[in-house]
Amino acid sequence: MSELHAYLGPSWRDEAIKRLQTELTPEKMNKVTTSMSNIYKNCPGGTEMFLFVECKDGKVTRVETGTGEPPKAEFLIIGNYETFARISRAELGAQKALMTGKLKLKGNLAKALKLAAVSDRMNKVLAQIPTQY
Amino acid sequence: MTRILDPKDKYYIDNPGRVKAIQKEMHKRGIDVYLGSRIRTMSFVMDTFCPWRSYLIIPPEGQPTYFTFVVDSMRVGDETWLDSDHVRAYGPMGGMDQVSAITDYIKEEVGITKGRIGYEDGISTYTAEGNLTHWEYTHFKDALPGFEWVNSHDIIDVLSLIKDKGTIERFRTASLIVDEGHKAARAALEHGGYKGMTETVIAGIAALAMRRAGSVSEWNFAGLNEISSGFRTGLGACTPPTTKEIKAGEPLMLDFHAMFKLALGDHSHNYLIGPATKRQRWHADNFVAIVQKVIDNYRAGTTPGTLAAMMMDFAESRGCGDFIQPACEHGIGLFGDEWRIGAIVNPDLPYWTDQDHVYQENEMVVCAMQYAAPEENIGFRYENDIVIIKGGCEILSKYPLGIEEIS
Repeated sequence: MSELHAYLGPSWRDEAIKRLQTELTPEKMNKVTTSMSNIYKNCPGGTEMFLFVECKDGKVTRVETGTGEPPKAEFLIIGNYETFARISRAELGAQKALMTGKLKLKGNLAKALKLAAVSDRMNKVLAQIPTQY
Repeated sequence: MTRILDPKDKYYIDNPGRVKAIQKEMHKRGIDVYLGSRIRTMSFVMDTFCPWRSYLIIPPEGQPTYFTFVVDSMRVGDETWLDSDHVRAYGPMGGMDQVSAITDYIKEEVGITKGRIGYEDGISTYTAEGNLTHWEYTHFKDALPGFEWVNSHDIIDVLSLIKDKGTIERFRTASLIVDEGHKAARAALEHGGYKGMTETVIAGIAALAMRRAGSVSEWNFAGLNEISSGFRTGLGACTPPTTKEIKAGEPLMLDFHAMFKLALGDHSHNYLIGPATKRQRWHADNFVAIVQKVIDNYRAGTTPGTLAAMMMDFAESRGCGDFIQPACEHGIGLFGDEWRIGAIVNPDLPYWTDQDHVYQENEMVVCAMQYAAPEENIGFRYENDIVIIKGGCEILSKYPLGIEEIS
């Protein structure tokens, strides 16, 4: 059985950037340049965490996780840890989470919608990481 | 792709200049941010057709930011002069509902968390006016607790009163397009062509001709091209076409609408489908004379009240005072601006035409008159975009005034 990575921990982050860079070509990423931070509220232990992803010309260039203030991003997606975890476990679609208000988006919606498919592709890759929630 | 404004274009409107004028007035009134919601505000600033519920956030300086329903944001972004960062969407997503998206924008991107916010409220006969609803007002207010809310629609109303050169040029073209509709309708009706034709069909024939000539919409929300025939001509000033057939011996009213670059062409023309009776002819001659009399009296310096009184006196002198409705115009501007005259909210009768409004050069109105004798199954309508000039007015539809008998 594969080693389980603690969700949002350092090894999970390293695995995430490796998989995103390997599995998502710039073409699959529509050569986008953007950045987004997921803000995880009500994490185990009561902390708040973030997942920051940056793409330049379709290449995933940065993945960061941590607590406190996230790097400045074009989009913020805010929700409970459990909601993000359910999305990662493929128990809940990201679109549905947004459309039911479980996640809140901040940023230019018109631009965000153009990135919806790209975001889905990234989520699918991240969902494959053996993860300990 | 964002539209590039070209000052050499004869239809050019200085939209950035309009924004600066609004911001100057906001500054004078101590308004920190303006929340526009009316269609006329969108047309005036965005210079784009904005049919979905939209909001325009005007900061103290710099470009405004437009929010609309997500289904239409890309199209608006492609057509307006604002850059794509300033054309936003709201939609059914957490954080992206109208109230969250807009209040977050004001607080976080404009960077204003307290102060005075201008908004648009009032009452109108025009369903689609777009004043802020009670629900919107309440929820925006709750989400922006540090703000004093100030009804400020008159900023836009005053600034949009006098039309600039590009706007007037657009109206000239829109009116000439309407004339193409009237020519096509006339050609279809004559030599017995009217037989078996319904009001809806003649509306469509005109619509096609106007579309061919460059119109993008028969914009009027009260039935697009309004047609009435026979007894329906006497029913008043709102006549969406029906499947009633046009018949010999009946009056026919054709009120066509064309939109060109948000300018609203609007001209009504009347016929008697022969054979006409002497009484019908008498009514028709009265109406043409009244229209001519009113047109001859439009000029800078006169008022709606003066014109209406003069018109009624003239009708009375011809013995037809009972048939003419006591008003002779409605307001007009870019799409969404088509009701009251003037910008003043008269406290005695708020949000209706100010009868004492003094017309100024380069104001526009739709000269509009309605003649109705329902007991005799006859009525007529006249509408025509006009520009007020120093000693008179410029009539934009060039279709000849008259009520012909055709058969």
